[in-house]
Amino acid sequence: MNHKLMRPKTEVLLGLLSPGLLIYCFIVVLPLFVSFRYSLFDWSGGINMEFVGLGNYIDLVQDGDFWFSFKNNVMIIMLSILGQVGIAFVVSALLMSKLLKWREFHRVVIFLPVVLSAVVIGFLWTIIYSKDMGLLNWILKALHLESFIIPWLDDPRYVIYTVTIPLIWQYIGFYLIIFMAAMQSIPKDIFEVADIDGATGIKKAVYITLPLLYDTLKVAIMLCIAGNMKVFDHIYVMTGGGPGKSSTVMAQYAYDNSFVMFKLGYGSAISIGILVLSLALILLSRKLMGGNKNEA
Amino acid sequence: MKRRRLLGKTLEILLNVMMLLFSFACIFPLIWMTYSSLKTQKDFSLNIISLPLAPQFNNYIEAIRTGKMHIFFLNSMFIGIISVVFIIAIGFITAYCLSRFNFRGRNLIYVLFLFGMLVPVHSLLVPVFVQFKWLGLLNKRLTLILPYVAFGLPMAIFLLESFIKTIPIEIEEAACIDGSPIAVTLMKIIMPICRPAMSTVLILTFLHVWNEFPFALILIKSDYLKTLPVGLTNFSGQYSVDYPRLMAALVIATLPVIIVYLLFSKKIIQGMTAGAVKG
Repeated sequence: MNHKLMRPKTEVLLGLLSPGLLIYCFIVVLPLFVSFRYSLFDWSGGINMEFVGLGNYIDLVQDGDFWFSFKNNVMIIMLSILGQVGIAFVVSALLMSKLLKWREFHRVVIFLPVVLSAVVIGFLWTIIYSKDMGLLNWILKALHLESFIIPWLDDPRYVIYTVTIPLIWQYIGFYLIIFMAAMQSIPKDIFEVADIDGATGIKKAVYITLPLLYDTLKVAIMLCIAGNMKVFDHIYVMTGGGPGKSSTVMAQYAYDNSFVMFKLGYGSAISIGILVLSLALILLSRKLMGGNKNEA
Repeated sequence: MKRRRLLGKTLEILLNVMMLLFSFACIFPLIWMTYSSLKTQKDFSLNIISLPLAPQFNNYIEAIRTGKMHIFFLNSMFIGIISVVFIIAIGFITAYCLSRFNFRGRNLIYVLFLFGMLVPVHSLLVPVFVQFKWLGLLNKRLTLILPYVAFGLPMAIFLLESFIKTIPIEIEEAACIDGSPIAVTLMKIIMPICRPAMSTVLILTFLHVWNEFPFALILIKSDYLKTLPVGLTNFSGQYSVDYPRLMAALVIATLPVIIVYLLFSKKIIQGMTAGAVKG
């Protein structure tokens, strides 16, 4: 790929690359260093800054609320792997079967929520969950299941499940498309041979589609982990992390500490903590599932 | 044999009905939101599910008059267009250099940008705020453009770089022998060839900027500079019980996205999955 004939001088090349590199480093790389510096101080945004060394990090490791919010992230990840990846897999297997009509229509419709703003989704589901004018309670009443009605977003025991449902609903389409693309790339003759051998629909799904999609499934699970480490918008809108702290996720916890309580030094330490934990979890999942081969 | 075919037919109908119900469940909350926004608060509280008997646009007028939705809308448009222009221009030049020239540090730069697709943006929330505060960059009209361009670049570079690689290099060599300067070759030959990849980047980054929430929330305080997602959060504080009005505001924020989606659904679906799977 190196053509000497047209290769510009190094200075020119550097000049061409610099705008991108500068903006990128200014927003993505430099802040990490700046915030590492501030994470060593007790600082609330004013002039007074007290150097505390690694004190913030020691606090962070012992901070039960932080680990609780991490646990919420992990919980949401697990529910989403089951919900998003699981449901999407079943639906895409159905959609690929010959029996189904209007495949394109289903694809476009199910994918639509993916492109919408998380804030809009959050508000919409707040309305759906609301007590007197909510869609969910209306449906339950219409089915005479009033006994199932609970304060959806106000019960600390269930709130982590109820805030995950909109997330699942929004992103099923995303995984559906990944799986459908992968299923389309499976050679047709494999299925034809299976037909001749007398395999039925479900057997084909379990013994052919599933093993051949193993790599795609791994990619989907990793995407799901990476995506759900950064949930914030939905939960900020729906519950703000409440009631109490019961639906606080890591990003929300960093936000609360930094912009509600103005503990910017500690907030910086939390941010570094989020970065380390997220990267660790993403790399760990990569390792566990045997690397990413850019499938699908 | 006949019975079996009958069974197959029933199964087919059953599956199709189930699938239609599933798709309907996926889309119904949005449909409900749209038609309920045309009802009055009184109609809505009497029966939340019924269609509006006398559709009225008062909620929209109120959303604009007291909720200032038009200001947020224009701000989102402005930030979106400028960010996308920068992302496309910078992304194209960077991607071209990375895909065509071998130089020391090329791989480092490539990995640096790819790292941007991996790093969880929320861990940058406080750091960027602290840095912007330190430099006095908070709460300006152009504040949000810097982070949006930076976050859009990795995907733009990634998609464009892999596209440019597929263009035969002989085209540029021929242009060079004919005496065309590299800048002209880039503008007149490579850029038009890249149009499909560029339009994907354009649509995806625009959607992304339009929907972005956390950075807009912390970097902008003035009501006159807020973008739609943050604007919506003030709006709901004012009218937390007037759901039809809130829904009207949600429709205003969502309609452009839905129009873009319906026009380019194929491109969006392809681009989003390509960008995500490779990352």
